[in-house]
Amino acid sequence: MSANSTIAAARPQIRGAATFLPPIILLAGAFVAFWLFPYDLGFMTRILIMMVFVLSFDLILGYAGIATLGHAAMYGCGAYAAGLFAIHVSADPLLGLAIGAAAGALIALVSGLLLMRAHGLSLLMLSIAVTMVLQETASKARGITGGADGLTGISMGPVLGIFEFDFIGKTAFWYAFCVLFVILLVLRVVVASPFGLALRGIKDSPSRMRAIGTPLYRRKVAAYVLGGAIAGIAGALTAQITSLVSIEAFNFALSAEVMVMLVLGGAGRLYGALIGTLVFMTVHHIAAGIDPFNWLFVIGFMVLAVVFFLPEGLISLPKRLMRLD
Amino acid sequence: MKRLCASLLVGSIALAAFCSTAVAETIKVGVIATFSGPNAIWGKQFQEAIQVYVAQHGKEVAGNTVEFVYKDVGGPNPDASKAAAQELLIREGVKYLAGFDFTPNALAVAPLITQAKVPAVIFNSATSAINKQSEFFVRTSFTLWQVTVPAAHWAASNGAKKIVTAVSDYNPGVDAENAFVSAFEEKGGTVVEKIRMPLQTTDFAPFLQRIKSSGADTVFAFLPAGPATFAFTKAYNENGLKQAGINFIGTGETDESTLDALGDQAIGLTTAQHYSAVHDSELNKAFRAKHAEMFPKSTLNPASVGAYDGVHLIYKLIEAAGTDGSEAIEAAKGLSWESPRGPVSIDPASRHVIQNVYIRRVERDGSRLVNREFDVIESVPDLGFSR
Repeated sequence: MSANSTIAAARPQIRGAATFLPPIILLAGAFVAFWLFPYDLGFMTRILIMMVFVLSFDLILGYAGIATLGHAAMYGCGAYAAGLFAIHVSADPLLGLAIGAAAGALIALVSGLLLMRAHGLSLLMLSIAVTMVLQETASKARGITGGADGLTGISMGPVLGIFEFDFIGKTAFWYAFCVLFVILLVLRVVVASPFGLALRGIKDSPSRMRAIGTPLYRRKVAAYVLGGAIAGIAGALTAQITSLVSIEAFNFALSAEVMVMLVLGGAGRLYGALIGTLVFMTVHHIAAGIDPFNWLFVIGFMVLAVVFFLPEGLISLPKRLMRLD
Repeated sequence: MKRLCASLLVGSIALAAFCSTAVAETIKVGVIATFSGPNAIWGKQFQEAIQVYVAQHGKEVAGNTVEFVYKDVGGPNPDASKAAAQELLIREGVKYLAGFDFTPNALAVAPLITQAKVPAVIFNSATSAINKQSEFFVRTSFTLWQVTVPAAHWAASNGAKKIVTAVSDYNPGVDAENAFVSAFEEKGGTVVEKIRMPLQTTDFAPFLQRIKSSGADTVFAFLPAGPATFAFTKAYNENGLKQAGINFIGTGETDESTLDALGDQAIGLTTAQHYSAVHDSELNKAFRAKHAEMFPKSTLNPASVGAYDGVHLIYKLIEAAGTDGSEAIEAAKGLSWESPRGPVSIDPASRHVIQNVYIRRVERDGSRLVNREFDVIESVPDLGFSR
């Protein structure tokens, strides 16, 4: 009952201007970026892909409160699945995305059945272990994955049979953007649905959720699988756009960076994930461009400052500023 | 908006084409390497060698000014490498790409350089197959087959009969194992055991025990330079393999950048490699002296000479072909010159450097450890290219 009343309270929030404004801003932002920085499409495409990846982690950490350090597992599986699919079966990008999503979901389901029984530190450790096992497998299965040299020979067909991937990266940019946009819209529905509210409930008070009859374990596994599918899509996008998959797709640093980006932007907010990714990668890019040796200082300082002064992430900045008045 | 942007690009490309017919210009060279994180040593060695070369030979080539633009990719990261190459090619308008420490980073740019017809000079990545991915790759470093096969031949003709291979279990390690085993068996030697060790391990005692009890007279090892080699050589000494008469032969384990950290336990290790910082030639002495003057705290290693010769090659290509990539690649084929490592030339078939491979032994020279060359196998091409 109480879940229902929360839904009723939450519904009005997603009506009206607030429903349409953010996606419109996002769309406009993409056009402006495309127009202003025609030479940085490669980099901006990486940001878009990373946004998809961070969104998937937001669902798991931000909404369901499941802290893992092995999110790269699903990303890597999606990348390898899409890459192998493109080489051996079909060069169609959208089919490849579906395969990547399926691979991400599958590995999330298999590992999630175990992981979601664990909590806290043991969950962190186990999620790292899963990723390491996968990385080692990819490294050893040289005949299939190319091992440490990476999976080469991926060449993609045109998107929808019309848009060829071009040298400058225009197709790649809009392709990645459309995928991000669709995923964002889907996630908006998901987080406002009873399922999404149940996840928030699990994050805020698991014992109370259990008391009202929510099957915690099943909800968490479902969230993990959904997040895994989206992470798989992000991996598939990288594989298709870079035309190469390396075992670094399973890197621990990637899992950690995703968490940093999410915390930076604001966990538990979809647009927080987007802002965090944008700020992190842009600062990284500019700082690394100015000083390729010491840019890590800048990133470290920025994260420190945000966590200290804006514990809810950059997305809470306007609210914080208003409160100052 | 799209149309405007497209016309902008077309305009700038036309402008670039117009510029390339002009007499003097600034020719940009994009360097893609790792400048941050745990593998930052690669980028550092590259950049120092580039600066030394420029200090010795100036920025002017055939009336053009050469400018280097550095891009950090933070380690083995093909996504970043491809995006960096795109940015360098499209925005910076670089006419040559260079650098490339890790194999995936080089492989990721193969389609781009083929499309853009821009030569990419590889300073390090040592997998033979890279040069097959694009006509526009030229390599001034080495390949695993190139140094490993001479190591096997030298061992076979210097008394090794039964051998154990112990390699780190990743692509380069497996490549090295295959190269060594096939070359050693060709010479009539026996391989008694092939051991693959996990890449992350630092506890080598059990493996060395296996090597000791295998009855072999020599162990061929391949490990990434750094902590793994440190732990392996330490275990090699502590388990008494040297006293048991089991010789060590390797390739890049005694890299100058980590050699001093290995300490006295490294003395006597025999390796086959294309460059030693103490190679005895006038050119290398000049290289070393200039490097020591500009970067007193640093040391030369094979990555340095890869970059130094890479810049030399780029200068020669600019002299021969200016900014025309296809012509430059043609000019590269068969080019030969005197390098700090000895005489080298570019094999027209594989676009890889043909060079001497030296057999060296670690010795103490004053306060430092050095790889002292004592034997040489001359003019070795990339033996892995046709495999």
